[in-house]
Amino acid sequence: MIRFQANNLRRTILRMAKAGSSVHIACAFSLVEILAVLYRQHLRHGTGGPRGKGRDYLVLSKGHGVMAQYAILHELGWLMDDDIDHYFGDATRLKGLSDAHVPGLEVSSGSLGHGLSVAVGLALAAKRAGTDQRCYAIVGDGECNEGPIWEALLFASQFGLDNLTTIVDANGYQAMGTTREVMDLGDLTAKLQSFGQETRAVDGHDECAIDEAITDLAAAPPGRPRALVARTVKGHGVSFMAADNRWHYTRLTDETYARAMAELSN
Amino acid sequence: MRNAFSRSLVAAARADERVLLLTGDHGYSLFDDFRKHCPDQYINAGVAEQNMVGVAAGLAKGGFRPVVYGLSAFVPVRVLEQIKLDVCYEELPVLFIGDGAGVVYSTLGTSHQSTEDIAAVRSLPHIGVLSPADEHEMTVCMDLAFESTGPVYLRMGKADLGNVHTAPPELEWGSLYPIQAGRGPIAWIATGSMVHTALAAAKHWAGSAVWSAPCLKPLDSDQVASICRNYGLVVVLEEHSICGGLGSAITEIAAAESPTRVCRIGVRDRFSRFCGSYAYLMREHGLDLPSVLRQVHDFLSRIGGVRSTAA
Repeated sequence: MIRFQANNLRRTILRMAKAGSSVHIACAFSLVEILAVLYRQHLRHGTGGPRGKGRDYLVLSKGHGVMAQYAILHELGWLMDDDIDHYFGDATRLKGLSDAHVPGLEVSSGSLGHGLSVAVGLALAAKRAGTDQRCYAIVGDGECNEGPIWEALLFASQFGLDNLTTIVDANGYQAMGTTREVMDLGDLTAKLQSFGQETRAVDGHDECAIDEAITDLAAAPPGRPRALVARTVKGHGVSFMAADNRWHYTRLTDETYARAMAELSN
Repeated sequence: MRNAFSRSLVAAARADERVLLLTGDHGYSLFDDFRKHCPDQYINAGVAEQNMVGVAAGLAKGGFRPVVYGLSAFVPVRVLEQIKLDVCYEELPVLFIGDGAGVVYSTLGTSHQSTEDIAAVRSLPHIGVLSPADEHEMTVCMDLAFESTGPVYLRMGKADLGNVHTAPPELEWGSLYPIQAGRGPIAWIATGSMVHTALAAAKHWAGSAVWSAPCLKPLDSDQVASICRNYGLVVVLEEHSICGGLGSAITEIAAAESPTRVCRIGVRDRFSRFCGSYAYLMREHGLDLPSVLRQVHDFLSRIGGVRSTAA
């Protein structure tokens, strides 16, 4: 069984970020536990691999966190060491934002506010086809500035898409500052509820709590879409990155790479 | 033409339950037959076009054949990025219908007028662009659209101008359809509502040949180059901006393959100034017959006339 151990995943993210001199490290770190729980305990891939018919969908609408999903796909064996260690190399396939041409990624995102609508369409397609497929969509709280997020939530509610769970990686930051400073979302849980979502809130780095919340949401009465506000810390896992928004943009040096890897050694 | 559209849509939906119609709360009375015959395949996505296109992409990925309907000012222009990223990048079989293209909504002003849609969509990879002139072309275009395995934009312009053809023409992706033969010197190429005007204007120059262009992308460059080679002047007419539409597409091919004079007649890089009837706005933009004749005369004077080069 694949363990999807959070520190291992973060080390893979650092390996990629170092190899590609990539930004967006903190964006990926905040959703590691969310992805680990989903892939370990909830997503059903069947035996068909990343494009398998009847699979559950994991839609990363918040494309800036894609390195976390690459780390997962690496553990699944859908990406190779070569992909990780040559990140952003010439003529390589893994881009700095989610790209649907990569097996295992369901949507192209990073232009924000796209993926949730596609997830809604996938959930509606599963409903209409009479399958029991579930669709999980991860959006950022900064991404919730985008109008189509709220259009999609309205639609999901109107069409009773109880096979859709929208998870907000609520790390409290967006590119240029805190969400409160830039575009305050107020009471996000209440907002989601008022948009017709069966909503829970949880510590987004507590894997047991995430698992319980998703299980609890699945058991809720049918007919309403589900939403989970995952309170996270941007850059969680490495002390000097946590809640420091510079790590949205900062690239690793040999020194910061070594220090971060040391903190994440099990 | 709208009846032909409705007939084709209903037939396609009845034949294939994967065909789903999504509308952004538009299409009053247009979808009465569809809702009667295929109520379960009708989805009103509300006044939320961006989400509607994303949902259509998800439905297509899940095995369905979505048809996304809106006014062309909104579908495709407002949702261009969703069409690019969610649909075209993955070559998903989504059919976009942009209704009321051009200045059809003459009394409603700039928000509802659409003279940049062809230019915008034409620059996206993988998507076909159709622009039927009458009900027969509409029927053929809908067939082409439903046979396509990738995205298609179908531009629906002024509906009640009458027929250009007497029966559905034989049409392939990319080809211009000849509707009047002539040895030149002037070749007329028009699309949508302007095919009628092209036929009427062509009567004023002996030897004129006229083609309708129901398919704007892809365009058969060999056919266009051949027209450019055989005629002294190509006049292109469209109810669309002269920037980036059919006139531009023809000019691009002409410049590369067989340089010839191309007179582009369309909306001249401007918004409508006033309100009024459709006929009034066509005059305001110089797209009525007298204005077209004047523009062609002026063009000919400027270039010193043309001589027939037709073989």
